[in-house]
Amino acid sequence: MTSISLRNIQKTFGKDTQVIKDVNLDIADGEFCVFLGPSGCGKSTLLRMVAGIEDVTAGELRIGGIRMNEVPAAKRQVAMVFQSYALYPHMSVYENMAFGLRQAKVDKAEIDRRVREAAQILQLDPLLERMPRALSGGQRQRVAIGRAIVRSPNVFLFDEPLSNLDAALRVHMRAEISRLHKKFNHASAIYVTHDQTEAMAMADKIVLLRAGADMSKYGSVAQIGTPMDLYHRPSNRFVAEFLGSPRMNFLSATIEGCNENGLKLQLMSGETLDVPFLDRGIEAGTKLTLGIRPEHMYPVSANAPDCRLTRPVRQVERFGEYSYVYLNGDSSDTLIAKVSGDCYVNSSEAMSLGFDPQNCHVFDEEGLALPRIGSGSSNK
Amino acid sequence: MSSSSTTVSSGKGRGSRLTRVSVPILGLFWLVVTTLPFIFVVMTSLKSRQETFTSPVWELPKKLNFENYIAVLHGGFWVYLRNSVFVLVLSIVLILLISSMAAYAFARLRFRLNKPLFGLVVAGMIVPIHITLIPIYLLTKNIGLYDTPFALIGPYVATALPISIFILTEFMRQIPKELEEAAKLDGCGAFGVFWKVFLPLSGPGLSTVAIYNGIGLWNEFIFAYLLTSSPANRTLPLAIWDFQGQYTANIPAILSVVTLTSLPLIIAYAFGQERIVKGMMAGALKG
Repeated sequence: MTSISLRNIQKTFGKDTQVIKDVNLDIADGEFCVFLGPSGCGKSTLLRMVAGIEDVTAGELRIGGIRMNEVPAAKRQVAMVFQSYALYPHMSVYENMAFGLRQAKVDKAEIDRRVREAAQILQLDPLLERMPRALSGGQRQRVAIGRAIVRSPNVFLFDEPLSNLDAALRVHMRAEISRLHKKFNHASAIYVTHDQTEAMAMADKIVLLRAGADMSKYGSVAQIGTPMDLYHRPSNRFVAEFLGSPRMNFLSATIEGCNENGLKLQLMSGETLDVPFLDRGIEAGTKLTLGIRPEHMYPVSANAPDCRLTRPVRQVERFGEYSYVYLNGDSSDTLIAKVSGDCYVNSSEAMSLGFDPQNCHVFDEEGLALPRIGSGSSNK
Repeated sequence: MSSSSTTVSSGKGRGSRLTRVSVPILGLFWLVVTTLPFIFVVMTSLKSRQETFTSPVWELPKKLNFENYIAVLHGGFWVYLRNSVFVLVLSIVLILLISSMAAYAFARLRFRLNKPLFGLVVAGMIVPIHITLIPIYLLTKNIGLYDTPFALIGPYVATALPISIFILTEFMRQIPKELEEAAKLDGCGAFGVFWKVFLPLSGPGLSTVAIYNGIGLWNEFIFAYLLTSSPANRTLPLAIWDFQGQYTANIPAILSVVTLTSLPLIIAYAFGQERIVKGMMAGALKG
């Protein structure tokens, strides 16, 4: 049993600096859960509370069904990989990996077997006698992972473990960590990152956390779900904005009316649009925000039936396979469209764009997503 | 535009030329200031008593006269040396052990009186040892340690602790917190974290403390003079007393003692120069 359960978890530093509010979360046996969020949202603090190196101010934390609030870190059967690797500089790779087992008074032969087995999996065999200072960043990272593996923990905790690596190595290690987790699938894993690409690529479940005034108002958790859930069905504007690169475009609109097919919206620039969302009792004339991702927009001719918007182009960034077209938004915002690299358009020209209303998102004045018609069955 | 850049570059050139000339001159001056007294001590220790008074101060000895050294070595020198080494080693071990444990507590443990206690310890650095002489003398007498080498260890450790704790606390504050957390997850308690992680990583800080205190204690005179009386229990700085009469002093013999006393430090420095400098620098930079 390696499930993790957090109930009404709160964390306050000092008397009134709240960093975590009302976290309720279940992580199943063997699940790979990613804590994602902007700086200062408390994702590392939450991870450290699970590890036992930070106290839980209020709420209940259970691992494998057992209450862990008062259990010291060493007895929680968790292993952690730190952002800075935290390898003991005065110990060789072998000693670093064996240290935890020695503390647990495991038999010497068993320690040796486990260390060499982990070293083989991580291709660290030739480096066992080296000191950490003689290793590259990637090798250090593998030793840190090896140190966690040898202890056969119930829970793996990763605190932004790839942020000190270069881009190519990060992609390689990302795949490596996913592979290792599948190999040790008896253990649950919590992985903290601020990089949405890592989260989308690795997670079975993403917990998106928010900071600041929104955290105080709504609680720390913005949304919990699979990566595709969060991408396709963000429950609020923060989630919609945080996931996706470039970020989602937002256009101010007002409700003109509603029928069985959804809402009729009028954009600030005058265009009208039918979108398949329920009105939830919102009156006509109410202001809403329409969200559409750059990758869901495509160029059309100005008089095409699916033409939704025509805007002057401000700038074009070409990446070969695709281009980002920056267009003047309705207010001071810029609209971004991700179009094929073959699409040639120049700055200061007007560009017409189409998009499928099914790919739109609508948020009320509070920033909460309106329910989509048939959202129970549609799964993009 | 061009003229101003010329001015700047020529000014820079003058500055670096000035540095190139002045630094070696200042270095040479400092070398003379520090070595001349030692040269005088060694030179005079090789003269006879009569020659010391009759020849000019900086005149080389007429012949190398080792009689003073022989007299010193045949006297109580070895007893003084043994006492000095014993007191020094025991004091340094205790200073390192106590100050490193206290420093770990101040640097890493969260407890209510952490800051006030650290302030109190640091304030101990400004207490002049002279005002403690009489109480320490009476205390030592009362507990029966007067005139034993053990009498020196307590005052030596106590007076060295404030600066040692200060240096090591600043050093340990620089050790990444993640190492402590990793050790806790690996199963270490507070003492385990200190003993297995912090102490080995504090090597440069410990060297700094050991060297700084070692030099001071090797040459320490006041407590040794106050708390020991018989030659069998005295340390090296008091060996000069053997050659000091009520009205006269055997100056070449005293300077032989001084030379022999400073020899261990010079030899230690010659062999461990790189490590000593690194230790001092590590303390300076990381603190």
